[in-house]
Amino acid sequence: MIQTDKLLDAKGLVCPMPIVRTKKVMNEMAPGEVIEVQATDKGSLADMKAWAKSSGNQYLGSVEDGDVLKHYLRKADQSEEKEEVQFPHTVTNAELQQQLDRDDVIILDVREPAEYAFGHIEGAVSIPLGELENRTQELDAEKEVIVICRTGNRSDFAAKQLADKGFTRVKNAVEGMTQWDGATEQNKV
Amino acid sequence: MAGKTAIIASNGTLFDAYKVYNIATAAAASDHEVAIFFTFEGLNLINKEAYGQLPLPEGKEHIAEGFAKGNVPAIPELVEMAQELDVKFIGCQMTMDLFGLEKEAFVDGIDVGGAVTFLEFAKDADVTLTF
Repeated sequence: MIQTDKLLDAKGLVCPMPIVRTKKVMNEMAPGEVIEVQATDKGSLADMKAWAKSSGNQYLGSVEDGDVLKHYLRKADQSEEKEEVQFPHTVTNAELQQQLDRDDVIILDVREPAEYAFGHIEGAVSIPLGELENRTQELDAEKEVIVICRTGNRSDFAAKQLADKGFTRVKNAVEGMTQWDGATEQNKV
Repeated sequence: MAGKTAIIASNGTLFDAYKVYNIATAAAASDHEVAIFFTFEGLNLINKEAYGQLPLPEGKEHIAEGFAKGNVPAIPELVEMAQELDVKFIGCQMTMDLFGLEKEAFVDGIDVGGAVTFLEFAKDADVTLTF
């Protein structure tokens, strides 16, 4: 079970209705929100990917559950595309790669649960940016925290939040998961 | 808009209707600006009396069962969906005159125009299709 903001039941619908319905529902969603689309149309697998590409939304992945295909998409958020990273302490992905084995370093992934589910750095802790404010006590403030998201933008906000809460060794992995070429793991579904 | 799709609908069976409206709604859902030019038998696809009971092509009548089982949306439903997605319908004036049909015979919200109206829309389209 992957946590999402919206669920669309498109089971039993045939092409092009799963896409048409998805489009309608996503129009009403806020940027950055994640939708789960349940469909039985096998063609929807290829169509969802193609549609996400042409509409500029983010296709996260699909899961097969018996006859039902569950597709996960995240609504495009223009504000993430601008490159205005402000938190002063940053690391590149190459530098992050060298820190992975250290016990005193926490990798904090602040993307949405569905983004995390379809590929994250092994051992990374998942706390979505929107929940970080209330969940910082889950993190050990004595350790160094390296924050990562998709493009370095949400992690920039998160790094600032952690610094304000008294975390002294925080770094933003500015390149984000889009440029990560190291190993990843997926959630067991 | 991510692109522009221009469609000519010139045939009037149920198969033709699905080809036209499936591509049109899919294109509109992908943020294309879409216009369909209905001409000759294609006018049946927007004719209020005809579009709810379009015939299957000759010799293909047995497919009716497949449509019933396949949970395929009815044509009037697809028309409504297409219009909600801002697909533009253009009725061909010349064939309407030929068949003795007025604008009132067709679903609401259509434009009526000639070949040039369609060409004006289609001249810079990314996708142009004829059914």
